[in-house]
Amino acid sequence: MFMAKEEEPRSYIYLNGRILGHVKDPEQYVSEIRAARRKGLISGEVNIAYAKSLNAVNINTDKGRIRKPYIIIENRQPKLTTEMVEKLKKKEIDFNWLLRNGILEYLDAEEEENALVAFSDEEITEKTTHMEIDVASIFGFTVNTSPFPEHNNIARHAMLANFTKQAEGLYASNFNLRFDSRAYLLFYPQAPIVTTAAYDGVNIKHHPSGQNFVVALSTYYGYNMADAIVINKAAVDRGLGRSVFYKTYVDEERRYPGGQKDKFKLPPPTAEGYMGEHVYSKLGDDGIIEPELHIEEGEALIGKIAPPRFLEENIGAGGLEEKMRDDSSVLKPGEAGDVDSVVFTESTGATKIVKVRIRALRVPEKGDKFASRHGQKGVIAMVVPPEDMPFTQDGIVPDLLLNPHSIPTRLTFGHLLEELAGKAGAVNGNIINGTAFAEKGSTRISDYGKILEEHGFDRSGEETLYDGITGRPFRAKVFTGVVYYNRLYHMVSNKMQVRSRGKVQILTHQPTEGKARQGALRFGEMERDALIGYGASLLLKERLLDQSDKASVLICKECGDIGYYDRIKRVAICPLCGSNSFAEVEISYAFKILLDEIKSLHIMPGVKLNV
Amino acid sequence: MAKEKKNDEYKVQYSEPVGMLAAQSVGEPGTQMILRSFHFAGIESAIATSGLPRIVELVDAKKKPSTPLSTIYLEGKAAKDLDEAEKVAKKISEVKMNTLIRRTAENFSKGTIKFMLNRQELESQQMTPRQVADKLGKLMKLDSSVEEYTIIVSMHTKNLKDIRSTRVRITRSVISGVEGAGKAIVQRDKNAGDFYIISAGSNIAGIIEIDGVDKTRIYTNDVFAMYGLFGIEAARNVLARELKLTLDEQKISVDYRHLLLIADAMTASGSIKGVGRHGLSGEKSSVFARAAYEETVKHLINAAAFGEVDPMRGVTENILVGKQIPVGTGSVKLAIKKEDMAKIKPK
Repeated sequence: MFMAKEEEPRSYIYLNGRILGHVKDPEQYVSEIRAARRKGLISGEVNIAYAKSLNAVNINTDKGRIRKPYIIIENRQPKLTTEMVEKLKKKEIDFNWLLRNGILEYLDAEEEENALVAFSDEEITEKTTHMEIDVASIFGFTVNTSPFPEHNNIARHAMLANFTKQAEGLYASNFNLRFDSRAYLLFYPQAPIVTTAAYDGVNIKHHPSGQNFVVALSTYYGYNMADAIVINKAAVDRGLGRSVFYKTYVDEERRYPGGQKDKFKLPPPTAEGYMGEHVYSKLGDDGIIEPELHIEEGEALIGKIAPPRFLEENIGAGGLEEKMRDDSSVLKPGEAGDVDSVVFTESTGATKIVKVRIRALRVPEKGDKFASRHGQKGVIAMVVPPEDMPFTQDGIVPDLLLNPHSIPTRLTFGHLLEELAGKAGAVNGNIINGTAFAEKGSTRISDYGKILEEHGFDRSGEETLYDGITGRPFRAKVFTGVVYYNRLYHMVSNKMQVRSRGKVQILTHQPTEGKARQGALRFGEMERDALIGYGASLLLKERLLDQSDKASVLICKECGDIGYYDRIKRVAICPLCGSNSFAEVEISYAFKILLDEIKSLHIMPGVKLNV
Repeated sequence: MAKEKKNDEYKVQYSEPVGMLAAQSVGEPGTQMILRSFHFAGIESAIATSGLPRIVELVDAKKKPSTPLSTIYLEGKAAKDLDEAEKVAKKISEVKMNTLIRRTAENFSKGTIKFMLNRQELESQQMTPRQVADKLGKLMKLDSSVEEYTIIVSMHTKNLKDIRSTRVRITRSVISGVEGAGKAIVQRDKNAGDFYIISAGSNIAGIIEIDGVDKTRIYTNDVFAMYGLFGIEAARNVLARELKLTLDEQKISVDYRHLLLIADAMTASGSIKGVGRHGLSGEKSSVFARAAYEETVKHLINAAAFGEVDPMRGVTENILVGKQIPVGTGSVKLAIKKEDMAKIKPK
């Protein structure tokens, strides 16, 4: 029998996951390729890694890998020298020069496994292969907008990353020329007092998305329990968190096969589906609304008539126009605002397009959402008049009262640190750097305390607060400072919806679902179970039948099939047996559909009647 | 007297939806149950499935529990003496051939199979290779010879297929103990001080034959094994008891009568039926109730084929058509007919 010769152990080489060959000494092979890459002999986009556990050398050159630059270290010495940094500052050399000359290199996730990366010069040992350009780069951009992220729980960073994206601000400086389908704009965006390197890096300090709030860590008569926040009405009136909401309605003069087309115009009362004069009262002569008019829900923005959906035979009498159907754009339920701008334009298909931008003020109110840059979100539970808010010795009334219980359980100590730093920055008029790992944390608290003390404040950041209602000082001192807050775009006024009676679905005759359709709230299976368990049979019937899809049908007394009433002959007829004797029965329309569907299975269901 | 009054207070009223209440009472705490079962340090085989997977197993009436466990109480000398108890445990504890084998080798030209035995394992079972060979000979009627720790089985055929299948049969054969009894371990009752045995199998029908086993107290968490040996009433008690144990373990308190009702419903027919498509829900009398649950078309077509009439007595079907349900306030009706009302003349 053939016996394989005992061979020397070899490592397999994979290029982009495909086997390429094998090599005797993988570590030397990998280091040779790396050296060639640093010399510029092969592309810097090639990454190579030796996976010891799999005994495989993986070379990756394909797209879609996450890569990050590092400073190369050779013989315990970082290759980036101070002279190079100086030259960089003078712009004599650039980042790419460093890459080309083997000072920096990009590693992908796989090659990172072979690297030992030092955070600072002091950490470099014999085994160190790379050094971070900046330690803060272990976080992504969004987390780096948060000050002191190294003092927060990592789970809060994930939340912060989401909230940052939802923050209102100055999203674009040409917002006035843009017709975004939805846009939010903060009235008075501020650059944060406690800033980070990320704000400089991508220039967001010139289009920020938040404001510096004076925050007291205090309860307020139970109104800020469990992530609720209390906000100062005076601050709101002065523009705190105030924003504007833009929404664009678009309509087009569509062309249809057969030469018909839509037309922008004031729909005539003869048009099919005409909604009544009051709906169109704000439209101009051209059928389009005028700018700066106030508009409420249910009012038309763009008047348009469209050809009928189904072609009828005798067009001609009365002209085509009277057969047209109303297809105007109407402001959706729950919305209101002023017309900001109207634009006429043309599509690539040479059809007319109208865009109407609605503007609505969004003053902070109960139910609006705010978040600090530490994953601490909250919803306004009460807007308190300034005279009822607690105030400090200097007469400062906080903008926002945050429940102190929200700090220890979430482990967001960065929030406290920002509050202290923000206060220090506010009193001496300096911007404070809160970039991750920028300074050793231990001295910070005393540094900020010193600044506060110089300006006559308590070094701990605590202040005696006086109850605005009784005028008495609180027994405990309250930690008060300045925190940068984002206003998030989840607002009640965009979400609130009510219904008592309303539309039903065509197929099931049951109430519609969802805010956009003025829907009802579902009385679901578990709610049904609760009523059965309680034995409330009539309440259950009311929910599930009377308030839902009650239908009255004629049941044939002869055969049990559903009959119909012939209005011309004025008799009820059973389509199955032709009988004329019926009983009128109340059933759910869903049951009628079920009977129809059973019939579609070629099964004849019959209803037997008692009495 | 006072006791009777208390009892009456807790009696269920007519038309109380007890099934719905039982379902809700078990279902709601079930959402709080931890999906992952706890792991205890100790004997690997003595860990029973717990938590939601165990509840599902019981309610679905699974034929074999994923971790069968038997509690075997002893009588006579064995209950008091550890050595005697160990002897009984050894008789019960199931030892399969494959746990004793280190390596096997088939020789197709000679028609022999070599079993190299694991010396340590054999010593821990206090068995000699000769004993194993004798047992094999008894079980399979095979000729074998023993060389130190190797058993050589000689076949009278050189048929490849026969040799291979014999080898598989031998490795699967039970050398000592009761088949399906699993590993048996002696435990001591903390209160009574008596010894008893826990085994990781549920063949109580086999175990009960062993001398020294208390036939009146043997118990297993395998509902079907208990049903087979002691009948439906025992199965019902085991069901309720196991549900209770599982819930108690997670510190969830549910009134025992809810569990009894579930056990009653599952066993009322005389055999154990799961809750679900193939059990209780699939055997409801109403066509609509069955069709509303699962396999709608199948139920409708069968109902049509047999000309079934839905008596409209249940909850689901009445909600479906929009009638008042015959539960709670809906269960009362006028005793007098509408027409007869007219005949009554006011005095």
